Amino acid sequence: MVGFHDERGDARGAAKLIDDYEAAHPNVKIERTYISFADIKNKLLLGSVGNQMPDIVWLDNPDHQAFAAAGILADLTEEIKEWGQADQYFDGPWSSTMYEGRNYGVPIGSNNLALYYNKDMLEAKGLKPPTTWEELKEAAKQLTGDGVYGFAMTAVKTEEGTFQFLPLMYQSGSDIDNFNSEGTIEAANLLKYMADNGYMSKEVINQKQSDTVVQFSTGKVAMMINGTWQIPLLRKEGKVNWGVVELPKNKQGGTILGGENWAITAASKHKDIAFDIIKFANEPERLKAFDQTAGRLPARADLLQDPFWQEDPDLKVFADAMKVAKARAYGPNYPKISEAIQIMIQEVITGAKSPEDAVKEAGAKIDAILGK
Amino acid sequence: MPHQSGARGGSPMSRRSKHASSWNNYLFVLPALLFIVVFIGFPLVYNLMLSFQNVSVYNLNGKHDFIGLSNYYKSLEDPVFYISLKNSAVFTVLSLIFQFTIGFALALFFNRKFPGRNLFRSLMLLAWMLPVVISGTVFQWMMSGDYGIINYFMQSLGLIDKPINWLSEGRTALLGTIVANIWIGIPFNMIILLSGLQGLPEHLYEAAKLDGANRLVQFRNITLPLMKPTILVLLILGIINTFKVFDLIFVMTAGGPVTSSTVLPIYAYQLSFSTYEFSQGASVSMIMFIILTLISIAYLRMSGKEEVHA
Repeated sequence: MVGFHDERGDARGAAKLIDDYEAAHPNVKIERTYISFADIKNKLLLGSVGNQMPDIVWLDNPDHQAFAAAGILADLTEEIKEWGQADQYFDGPWSSTMYEGRNYGVPIGSNNLALYYNKDMLEAKGLKPPTTWEELKEAAKQLTGDGVYGFAMTAVKTEEGTFQFLPLMYQSGSDIDNFNSEGTIEAANLLKYMADNGYMSKEVINQKQSDTVVQFSTGKVAMMINGTWQIPLLRKEGKVNWGVVELPKNKQGGTILGGENWAITAASKHKDIAFDIIKFANEPERLKAFDQTAGRLPARADLLQDPFWQEDPDLKVFADAMKVAKARAYGPNYPKISEAIQIMIQEVITGAKSPEDAVKEAGAKIDAILGK
Repeated sequence: MPHQSGARGGSPMSRRSKHASSWNNYLFVLPALLFIVVFIGFPLVYNLMLSFQNVSVYNLNGKHDFIGLSNYYKSLEDPVFYISLKNSAVFTVLSLIFQFTIGFALALFFNRKFPGRNLFRSLMLLAWMLPVVISGTVFQWMMSGDYGIINYFMQSLGLIDKPINWLSEGRTALLGTIVANIWIGIPFNMIILLSGLQGLPEHLYEAAKLDGANRLVQFRNITLPLMKPTILVLLILGIINTFKVFDLIFVMTAGGPVTSSTVLPIYAYQLSFSTYEFSQGASVSMIMFIILTLISIAYLRMSGKEEVHA
């Protein structure tokens, strides 16, 4: 018997996978447990103390290294070498499964962020979807009014907030290892500009990505930065005429990589069967069907060329961005780094601190965490 | 009773029988004792031990070192600890003052006889019976800056001229959670005070009326002194319950923006489950435990004196 922790609502894809595998291997019985995205980290950590671990788990990719460092995940380096498929995967997703040169998992599917916009609202003002920060600022200004905010992106005090902020920082030429720098301040100033002028609601600090998409799909927000996984929802329930473009450029373009990975727990008594299931799930045709059902982009370069992603104009925006999507592979201390950034974002948006001071303080915390 | 004679120092024979019977008596306590040891004692001791070690996500399943009071020093050096302590104090004191006075007023009101009294009394309890996650979410919506009903009413009445982001501004976030907590706590205060009021002897009030005491004098000289034990119990329970509130604040603001509504339980949770500093989180929980223990001891002293007076 193999336990299986999966996250979010993409249970359908997982259920099919399990049925298929059980049909092909009558002697294996897979027990699946659904755990919400927000709870999975804590469930796993507590489970590891109580020795109650499933065999296979799904992890949000920025947490992967922390779990590997905690000794919760099995080292799969040898098995994966034997499998010989590693070079089919994009570097970004793959790097998130590595810790100190060893491999602790296989990517499931990926996502990234892009700019969604309300076509009707932009047309009414004679605007084109923004391609640079200057155009973004101008569009947000013009689109604000009549109970509509020009721009929105979540700034909640969780990983979601950091996830949304980091690409702005990358575009301005900064990164975690030189956090206290011009680029980060510039990115923080963009948020300040939007919030202070009322082009973005200050309530974004309490609105999750799933709340932002509701505001957008009911016409309360004209443009939002959000992820790949919102497309199925917007198509099904969106009340507005929308489009999506890649994130506007500042000094450079770029976006951030999100997604989940497969891993096997160190405590598993069925590692061979568990890895067999992962291999089974990663056979290209099966992975493709799964990623389509679950609203994800394949983490495999060969699969991404499939017409499903290449011929759909909305999905193609995200598919193209995969080449420039940067993974959050910042080591096992990433959760603490992320918390420092979340606090900084909230300080800037609420006006509690100037961008310079907030960035400086967060930078000092991050340097201490990184041991610089 | 046999063991009483034993206690006065009788023959060895009777002393033995005293032992046997008291052992029997202890047996009756055993289930409750076991329950306390397993579900309260064990986690407490485990937490205490955790707070003296260096457990974080790195060595969760590996070797843990004993590091003495380092976690406590680290917590006491963190400015966020003092912000949380202050927020906890403000949250507890303001919540209690309003829960108690409004609850008392309602209890006095419902202590009168009028048609439909029982129905309204039960309805009042609904607020207390609702799961906190639901009340918290509803308050979060009502206090929303962009589409919240509270801003709508206040703007319609001309009290404010532009919307206030109650829960996403540092100045008002803690206040917002306090208002929600007051609303949740009123029914509990009311019910406990009401049951106390109903136990008060009617004849005292009749005698006071004959002596010409008005309602205010009756309240001050009869109701309040007689209600003192009930009030003390209520306040101590209130302090303990309010100091521990986690779910409501977590649902409404998660301690934010920044740290403006971070109370001690939220701070401990964030240490343990956002940044995975399990031992430091445990040290904050222990500090909370010590604070509440001190308050409880003070209470026991006070109620002990009360009994002597009576």
